This record gives sequence, C-alpha cells and structure tokens, in this order.
Amino acid sequence: MSEPSTATMDFPRRDARDKLQGRTRYIVDQGRPGMLHAVQLRAEVPSARILRIDTSVARKMPGVRAIVTAEDSPARHGIGIADHPLFATGCIRYDGEPIAAVAAETLAQAKAAAAAIVVELEPLPAVITMADALAPDAPLVHPDWRDYEVLLEGGAHAGNVAWEATVVRGDTDAVFARDDVEIVDSRFRIGRQNHLSFEPRAVVASYEDGRFHIETSTQVPWTVRNVTARLVGVPASHVRVTVPAVGGGFGLKFDCSLEPFAALLARAAGRPVKLVNSREEEMLTCLSRENAEIRIRSAVTREGEIVGREAVVLMDCGAYGGEQIFLTTMTAHTLGGNYRLGSVKISTRAIYTNTAPNGAFRACNGVYNTFALERHTDEICAAIGMDPLEFRRRNVLGDKDLGATGQVFEGDVLRPMLDRMAELREAKTSKKHLAGERLYGRATTVGTWFIFVGPSAATVNLNPDGSATLVTSGVEIGSGSMMQSLPQIVASTLGLRPQDVVVRTADTDAGGFDVGVGGGRTTVSLGAASLAAAVEVRKKLLHVASDMLEASAEDLVLENGRVEILGVKGSGTTIEKVAERAQRVTGPISGSGAFTGPGVAAMPGCAAGHFIDAIDIPVFAVHDCEVAVDPETGHVEVLSYTVVQDVGRALNPRAIYGQIQGGVVQGLGYALHEEISIGANGRICQAGLETYRVPLAQDVVPVEISLYEGAPSIGPLGTKGAGEVPILNVAAAIACAVSNATGRRVQEIPLTPPRVLELLLGNNQPLDFPHIADAWRDNAIAAGV
Amino acid sequence: MSLRLNVNGEDRFSAAEPLTPLVDVLRDEFHLTGAKIVCREGFCGACTVLLDGRSVMSCLVPVGLAADSEVRTVESLATDGVLSPLQLAMEQHDAVQCGMCFPGMLMSLTSFLERMPNPSRDDIKAALAGNICRCTGYERIVDAALSVVRAA
Repeated sequence: MSEPSTATMDFPRRDARDKLQGRTRYIVDQGRPGMLHAVQLRAEVPSARILRIDTSVARKMPGVRAIVTAEDSPARHGIGIADHPLFATGCIRYDGEPIAAVAAETLAQAKAAAAAIVVELEPLPAVITMADALAPDAPLVHPDWRDYEVLLEGGAHAGNVAWEATVVRGDTDAVFARDDVEIVDSRFRIGRQNHLSFEPRAVVASYEDGRFHIETSTQVPWTVRNVTARLVGVPASHVRVTVPAVGGGFGLKFDCSLEPFAALLARAAGRPVKLVNSREEEMLTCLSRENAEIRIRSAVTREGEIVGREAVVLMDCGAYGGEQIFLTTMTAHTLGGNYRLGSVKISTRAIYTNTAPNGAFRACNGVYNTFALERHTDEICAAIGMDPLEFRRRNVLGDKDLGATGQVFEGDVLRPMLDRMAELREAKTSKKHLAGERLYGRATTVGTWFIFVGPSAATVNLNPDGSATLVTSGVEIGSGSMMQSLPQIVASTLGLRPQDVVVRTADTDAGGFDVGVGGGRTTVSLGAASLAAAVEVRKKLLHVASDMLEASAEDLVLENGRVEILGVKGSGTTIEKVAERAQRVTGPISGSGAFTGPGVAAMPGCAAGHFIDAIDIPVFAVHDCEVAVDPETGHVEVLSYTVVQDVGRALNPRAIYGQIQGGVVQGLGYALHEEISIGANGRICQAGLETYRVPLAQDVVPVEISLYEGAPSIGPLGTKGAGEVPILNVAAAIACAVSNATGRRVQEIPLTPPRVLELLLGNNQPLDFPHIADAWRDNAIAAGV
Repeated sequence: MSLRLNVNGEDRFSAAEPLTPLVDVLRDEFHLTGAKIVCREGFCGACTVLLDGRSVMSCLVPVGLAADSEVRTVESLATDGVLSPLQLAMEQHDAVQCGMCFPGMLMSLTSFLERMPNPSRDDIKAALAGNICRCTGYERIVDAALSVVRAA
C-alpha cells in the first residue's frame, strides 16, 4: 500500500511555469482553422410571452453561417426536476434568458445578425423577490410545473416552490412549550455572490464523423457530455468532452452551460464554433451563489443545552431550479450542523423568481447558513449570559453525537479544534492596538461542511520507460489537486517521483465517469480511484519483479524508482527494467480503479426531499478574526485572521495553505464587499467590476493557519478535501466580530460601509419576513409533518 | 494603412483600425495570448502590458496610440527559457493557481520594481491595487515579490 509518509511533500505544480510565461492556452485563447464566432440573443425583460421569433432577415446577413432557436432543442433538463429548456420556450422567465444563438465568420457579424432577429413579446407580470413569489395569488414562474419530468422522487414542490427538503427529528413543539427554556428567534438576509472566475464560461465545439467534440472550460466534463446530449437530442456516447486548463471555476462551471448552444451551431454550420461569455453576460447571468432568507428559532436551557431548533431557509433559485434544488439538502448539514440538538425541524425551500438562475459556489449554501447559525448562536449566548467560546465548547458535535438527520458522528474533532484555536489566541498578541480609535471586535466561529464524494474512475498505465500515466476525467481548475495530490498518491504507491507521473487532461473518450471537480472531492474521490488503480499496477509490477529477483512479492519494496528486496539496498532492479520485461512477458501493465461514497445512514424518517440524507465525510473548520470598525465611515478592517482546518491528512501542506488564504479572501469579499442587487426590472444592477467590488491586495491580511490532522476519513491515506471549506465560516466570523465591535445585531451581509453605518446609527429596519409563516409547519408543503 | 509597433523587441505591423484595443491586436493578430481579457474595462489588470516602459491596461489603449511605441508583454519576461527573477519567485512560492491574473500581475510588478527597487510590503500591495486575483488571496504573490527585492 501507499505510505502516507512518502506521499506527503510540498510538491510544486507543473503548470506554474507556462502560466507564468503566458503560454497556457485556456479556452479563451484557443482557435481552430475555419472557426466561427457565436453570440446569444438574450431577453431584456424578466417575464413575457413570446409571440413571434423571426430569424429570416438575420440569416441573410453577411457572414452568418447558422442560427438556432428553441425549435432546435425541444428537451428540458434540470436537477431533480427537468424544468429548464435550452432556449426560452413559449415565454421569457428572466432578463438575460437566451432566445437564439448565431454563428458567423466574425464576432461583429454574429452580433449584427443577433440584433436583426425579430422578437415579438407580450409582457407578463413578474415575481422579482422571494416575497413576491410566495405572496398569495403570486403569478407562477412555471404555470406548467405539474407537467415537468421529475428526476428524483421525494421532494415536495408546488407553484413557485421549486423544491422543498425537510428535516424532522423529535418533538420541537413540546420543548418550545417548556417553561425552563429561553427562546431565541433570529432572522437573516443574504445577497448573491458572483464567482468572477477570470476565465468566463467559454467553449469551442465541432461536429466530426457524426459526433460532437466539445472543448470547454468546465469542472464537470461528464455532466456536459450528458446534458449536451439530452438537449441536442443524441445518445450521450455521441458527445466527447475535453478540457484544457480552466481559468477558475469556484462552482460556476459545475454545470453544463454554453456547450449545447455551440454544439447545435457547429452541427448546423459544419464548422467549429467558439462561444465565450462577455464579462457583462457573466455578471448578469452568472449562476451566482443564491440570495437567501432565514429564520431560526431555538429553545435553550439556562445551562446552555439546545433542546429544540426550528428553521426555515428560503433559497432563491431564479427562473429555473438548477443547483438550488440539490442544495436544499445541505441546510440539514450546515445550519443543522455544528451543535447537538435535542430536537429539530428544518424546512428549506428553493423558490422560483423571474431572475437569472443561481448555481453552485464554493461551500454552496454553507456560507450563509454558517453565518446565520453562528450569529444566532451568539444571540443565544447573549440571551442566557454564557461566554460564546464556552457555549461552543459544550455544544459542538463530538463522538457518537447525532446530527440533524440522526446520523451518528464519529470522533471528537470540533472540540479539540476549538482548544487549538484557544491556544493560538493565547500564544499570539492581539492586534487590538491597531484599531486605534475605532471600534474593536473579535469572534471565533465553527463550521461544518462535507466532501461531495460520489463516483470516480481512474486508469494508471506503467510505461516501459519507468514513468506512469494517470488517466481520469479530472480537471485542473487552479486548485492544483490534479497537479499535486493525485500524482503524489500514484507516485508513492509505485515508488516513483511524482514528476514521473503524467496526468492526462480530461477527455470523456479516455477517462471513465466522474462527478466532477468540486465539492472538495478531487483528492478524495479521484484520489481514491487513482490509488486503487495504482495498487493494481503495483501488484502486477511486483509479480513480474518477484520472478526477476527470485524473491517473494511480499519481500519487495518500491522506492526511488527501484524494486528492492526488503532490507537489502541495491539488491533489486529499476522499475523501468521491470516494466520493460513485463511488456515482453505479460504485455504492458495497467490498472484501473473506482470509487464512490459508501453512503452513511441517517435516522429513518428524519429527512424528506434530500439528495444526501447523511454526509460521508464531514469537514470542520474553526475561524477567528479581529476587526476594527470605523464609526465615521462604517469601514471594516480585518486586523487578524486565523484558521484551524480539519484536513484529515495534509498531502501537500503548502498547497493547502494557498487554498486557505485564497478561500478566506473570497469569503472576506462575501462578508464585506461583494454586493449584488436586483432592480425592479429583474436585472442584476452590477454589470461589471466598477460596481461589483472584490477584495484587492490592500484589503487582505496573511491568514494564520493550523492544519488539524487525524480526524476520521474514508479518503485515500486519510485525506479530506481542503480547497472548498476555507470560505465556509468567513462571513460568520466577520459578522460576529462586527456585532461584538458595534454592539448591534448583524442580520445581513455584506457589511459594506453604508450597511455598517446604518447599524451604528440604528437606521436599519429589523428584518421581517411576511412570507415566512410564524408556525414552522406552515412553511412546509410536505403534509403531516 | 498599417501601424508599426515594436513588440517584445521586434517590429510588428498591424492592419487593425486605430481604435482597436491594443489587447485585441496582441492576441488576435500577433497570437500573444498571455495578456488576458477579463473585464475589458480597466478594472482587473489581467491585460497589463508595458508601453514604453509604463504599465497600462491594454484593453483601454487604442492601438493607434501605441503606434511607433515599444510594447512588452509577459511573453518577453523569460529569456532563452530562463524565467525572470520575479517569475522564478512566483514558481518557488507556489503562488500560481488558475493563472489567469499572472500575466498582468507580473507586468505591473516588473514595471513597479524597476521604478522602486526597495519597496516595503505595503508598497507592493499598493502597486497591486489595479490587479485583481480571485484565487490566491494575494499574500503569496506579495511574498514572492518581496523575496526578489530582498535577494537583489
């Protein structure tokens, strides 16, 4: 087996040098002979009936080679419910919805032709906010919702409620009625967040020999393959997806997006077609992290025991369900996580609105639920007069404790992580002096996240030159997992150097099925499949070597590119020679490996409408920060930031530090700067970087990091994914610290200067959600709960 | 009519309209795709190049205004396959993630370090005010730049 000690190192990434020289060819840098350029014609109203689309003039415009519309793609796709056509069909449901796509010799010609397409519309009423959507007699975004194909049974849905996931464990009514409990009731509202991956969504598609070849900037080659096939109307095997270096994803590219448009155009024109979103299109139609509204009530004893909790989480999915339908699942494990709960009821609802669809974004759903949960926890502490650190120490989930859905957690992880954070706080001098005249606040928060395991496949070929080739459908999106941890795992299993492991870029014609790169699963799921494939290679290699060296396979070790007889250095031979001999004697050596999540059990009957009832690999994080709040301007400066992160085992500590620094800063943007607002016309107001403010170099501090190793994990060599979770409790830590600094209840993020000033001046309106019913059960369609 | 530009030490000629953004000429005509188009509005800095030694956002410079000037792009930093000290420091600090911002980051910092050879950490951060990175959280990029200063 692979030895963790030989797999662990600060192995540098092999793609850095080309990236630093401007040589890396992302999709946006690619061209092909005869390639056409494409654009989409998008709706400019949030809701309307389509009376007529006339492309006849546009088709005769100079350079135009193909135009496609809803007539070319009648199918619908989706997660849980197939509610989403490729083109607006019959009606417009959001501003920015594609109506047609045009391919022409030049981009300018394509744009001119798109502008010449005649679209006649009849305006329809629109629901822009979740309050609009849930109002009595609200117009339905999908009047035909009953007719849609259901892809996963079990989720309640009706009208503008696209999906509902509920958790019911224990009798909350009884505990809320007890006279020995304090009831704490909190409300929170959170806006959207744009990924702003530097490479936009971009694709080059061609149609050759009866098959599509889609070269695209994606995290999910197999989803692109399957969804494109469904929307284009061909068997999935007729679509090949390849992926070069991806210029950032963060979840934006965890779904099929532009690919079917380019595929249809390429087939119609018989030429390769390139389609790239402009930055404005990315800002206005990005599959953002969804806005959410949250109510959470807890019954807590004076001794600090949480005997009951009820929560309602509304997630805006925009005009189509998409990822939010799946993500309703996650509330149980995020807002329902962290703490032992005597009884719990949660309703999470994905709500249709006439706005751009939302999607997946690093620690989806977790970041705002952790913000809400941790702020609520501090409100509990204030209500019962308990120190927030002490409350957390007493209540965090430990060994054999039950999660919200009744899953049994293994191992004490969060408590020792809190202890380690306390030690770090003790050991370091506070930065309070840097606050000067400003208000100073500090907070420590906890968070629970998970690894999105799921199926992965890998093949390892041992080459006769003593190198190995790893073939998977993994994609390098920038996190480095494909460049670092995967070759490290394979190399340590085979006694090679990681630089001797070639990593094949994703190609669905070569690598087996894979869920995709996201959810912290690359090192875990692709890593486990790669490890299994390498173990098979190792077995075959040792078999041949055992003949060559006349020694039993059990007495052989693989190290430094050699097979040695145990305890007798220099007695063996090189792996190259063994591979050469194998090629002659048995044929070339290769191995295949597969992995999928084992499926941890929840308590029967606790969870309804969930895609994952219990989490296979929980991941925990403890964050601490100090802030200074300027009472004159409302500006929040982060003075220090410290992270203790559960990583299982750190295979490449330096790479993990890089992920933590980057993830925390993305979280600072979410907590402090990045605001998306939606106008009454249903259009996102922030069309570019002038108005969408992301963290700059001067906004950030170096994050102090302590990796917590040794928590139980089914990941290869005990690993957990480390790249997704660093963003998880940043908004929580900042919001709690700002609350502590100002003495005000923070209920909304981002904490932009105007919002902080409102808080300080007491001008903010307390949140009131008329569309969240007072009695929990009235927020759940699922009857009988 | 054609415009002459000296790009990375070599005279090049472009037939583009004078109002065409310089970045499009570099990428589409000269196949120098190092400079990246991310926002096209001068906010992100990914298309930063040096124009007669000054760092500029090449999305905002009409190619006509770059006529008869010297343009340096990221492709010029390494010579004969040897990385510049700044590029090498970025590699050694494992600073790169998705990599899209680095061509611009490197040009801004190269120009800055030529003008200010002994900057503080805060000076370097201020110099990066026009270069956004969405992946790394900046600190490692600053560490790498600072290591070049200290080695000099």
